[in-house]
Amino acid sequence: MIIYGRSARTVALCLLAAALAVVPVRLLGQIPTDSWPTYHGDYSGRRFSTIKQINTGNVKALTLAWVYRLNTSRTGAIVGGEGPDTPPPGTPPSIKSTPLMINGILYFSVPDHVWALDARTGRENWHYAWKTRGGDHIGNRGVGILDNWLYFLTPDNYFVSLDVATGKERWHHEIANMKREYFSTNAPMIIGRQVIIGVGGDALDIPGYLESRDPEAGNLVWRWNTTPRPGEPGAASWPDEDSMSHGGGMPWIPGTYDPELNLYYLGTGNPQPVLSGKSRPGDNLYTCSIVALNPNTGKMAWYYQVTPHDTHDWDAAQTPVLIDGDFDGRPRKMIAQASRNGHFFLLDRVTGEHLLTSKHIDSLNWTKGINATGQPAHDPAKDASVPGTLISPDTSGATNWPPPSFSPDTGLMYFGTRQTFSVLYLTDTDGRPQGWAAAERNVGSVGNALKAIDYKTGKVKWSRLRWGRAEARAAPWVC
Amino acid sequence: MIRVRRVLAVLVVLAVPGVLVVSAVPAAAQQQALTPVTDTAAVERGQQLLVAQCGFCHGANARGGSGGPDLTRSTLVLSDEDGRQLGEFLAVGRPDKGMPKFDLPRAQVSDLAAFLHSSIYQNSNRRLYKILDIVIGDAKAGEAYFNGAGRCGTCHSPSKDLKGVGAKYEPATLQARLLLPRGRNREPGTVPAPLYTDPTSVTATVTPSSGTPVSGGLVRLTDFEVTLYDATTGQMRSWLRNGDTPKVVVVDPLQAHMDQLPRWTDADMHNMTAYLASLK
Repeated sequence: MIIYGRSARTVALCLLAAALAVVPVRLLGQIPTDSWPTYHGDYSGRRFSTIKQINTGNVKALTLAWVYRLNTSRTGAIVGGEGPDTPPPGTPPSIKSTPLMINGILYFSVPDHVWALDARTGRENWHYAWKTRGGDHIGNRGVGILDNWLYFLTPDNYFVSLDVATGKERWHHEIANMKREYFSTNAPMIIGRQVIIGVGGDALDIPGYLESRDPEAGNLVWRWNTTPRPGEPGAASWPDEDSMSHGGGMPWIPGTYDPELNLYYLGTGNPQPVLSGKSRPGDNLYTCSIVALNPNTGKMAWYYQVTPHDTHDWDAAQTPVLIDGDFDGRPRKMIAQASRNGHFFLLDRVTGEHLLTSKHIDSLNWTKGINATGQPAHDPAKDASVPGTLISPDTSGATNWPPPSFSPDTGLMYFGTRQTFSVLYLTDTDGRPQGWAAAERNVGSVGNALKAIDYKTGKVKWSRLRWGRAEARAAPWVC
Repeated sequence: MIRVRRVLAVLVVLAVPGVLVVSAVPAAAQQQALTPVTDTAAVERGQQLLVAQCGFCHGANARGGSGGPDLTRSTLVLSDEDGRQLGEFLAVGRPDKGMPKFDLPRAQVSDLAAFLHSSIYQNSNRRLYKILDIVIGDAKAGEAYFNGAGRCGTCHSPSKDLKGVGAKYEPATLQARLLLPRGRNREPGTVPAPLYTDPTSVTATVTPSSGTPVSGGLVRLTDFEVTLYDATTGQMRSWLRNGDTPKVVVVDPLQAHMDQLPRWTDADMHNMTAYLASLK
């Protein structure tokens, strides 16, 4: 047993849940060994399994059991949606969702498609295809399941519910305006009777928001705006109403949850316009922040901004991971993020108190240093400029959406890192820049690596260079 | 062999979620909700109309001005189709907020809408952004850096390999290749050949426990396998790895550029670009 301070009651609940067909609402922080019922497996974001059957001794003996080639044809599928009958041209989708597994069935998605497969055979149980109206088809993080119902989002911003057993559609609701270049990729996170979803989009200076929807009818329960409105807390970090109500902060990755504190932890997206801060002087709250929300009301308990006044597209959407353990000699409830801006952050998750900041890549060159509250200080000299500004990491960041893992056994957090360089060219010199406002030319990387960080010190315990494709650009290395 | 192992790697990720750590390279956006405006004459007429009729309040580029909001962020404009909704709005205005009504002919409203939709499309599509004049550095200072601190002269010469380089590349490409001249100059919209086929690729030499060393472009190197591209045969070769066997030595022909990457100041970079741009 790995989880700290869990009681027999928890175990009994888990067993009961398994017997009833496991649903996320009963998950209290330990991944079941026979199912994977949420995006993270449980609510903690650790992606740490206690399964021991596959281990370092036998992993190399794993062999292929089956392959399922993505069937995106509408023929034979259950078809829904508001768009035209002919699908838009596009490149073949890649799977960015984490499959859920419940009762031996895998549920996963790509934009406009959801499948249910038999995990033992790869046989398709059902396939649901959405007729899209358009929108950015960059990816879909997966589905959420509560009891007999499945939930997912579409690129044209519909919140859709299907029957888990058959794939038949129950209803769909539009949650954002596609014409404003909103698109939705998030995997719904289910806490109690709240289905929590978020929107995406960064092309047209639009405000971000997170919503809770009722699982039966899909109606709005609460909405939390990621940027304030005039007069609200945080408004002083923006120059005016126009900037904050077009300020971005998209919540595009599912958050994590502590049932004892009843707090939902979410990493928010970057401010907009994306690569020019000219029209938005200030810290631009609550963009690029880790926030703690009450999942019943959507009210914010605390926030910590990991990049004040971001000008590099480094959202803080990366999974904030719950860690229970010692820090400075006493037990604490903590939350950690390996952030896209190249820094590792450790906070007290009860209060939001900052505990530790460290750099997780060496090449980063954009900050004036760490300030008194542990935040990387913005350096205007490293903003996009007309003749070009060399930055590291590039706008895709030192790490990104692929989720990290944390092992309570080792106390290490594991995640992929990139030491890329790129040149940012300011292309929109207007006093009111729009959209991205700058162009990027990628240069290369001086080493992309899988890293393990000790949460107690923030130091990199070990690092394994990754080689392959375009990443094969690092320094010489004798292996 | 390599194909099977790639499938296997995916399977491991699915089967052992506790160690799920995968690539941190996001794919590029695939499509947009908005579509381009193709009638450029209408866009031009609309722009003139906007400057004359709307610019005083909404700015000459429609991004807001003295009292009028940014029209390129207006939900009404975004929802408009070919001037229909815009025309309905202009016929009434919003007098309570100081927005008078405008009696414009249908064709002019359509032109106005074409300009606004075109501006919004340009703003929203970062792949269409035009890099401005970037050659602002001091070519003399660049030359001094070339021969001095940059130690570029160790490998390069303005009268040999760099002769005419300023005419060969447009400035942003020149600046990118100054930083790292890896791969061929890629035309926008084309798919480049795999990097491992290029002479500037990172290479590796694999020495099997029995047999002669093999060198080639490095395709892939993990704890479990190494794959090389043999340019002479056009084939891939893979070896399973077990600790230090077989021995793998990786060499980067552009190592000097890699070492320099973290050392650049933006001023040195701009000066060097100005110097290289002058080599015509």
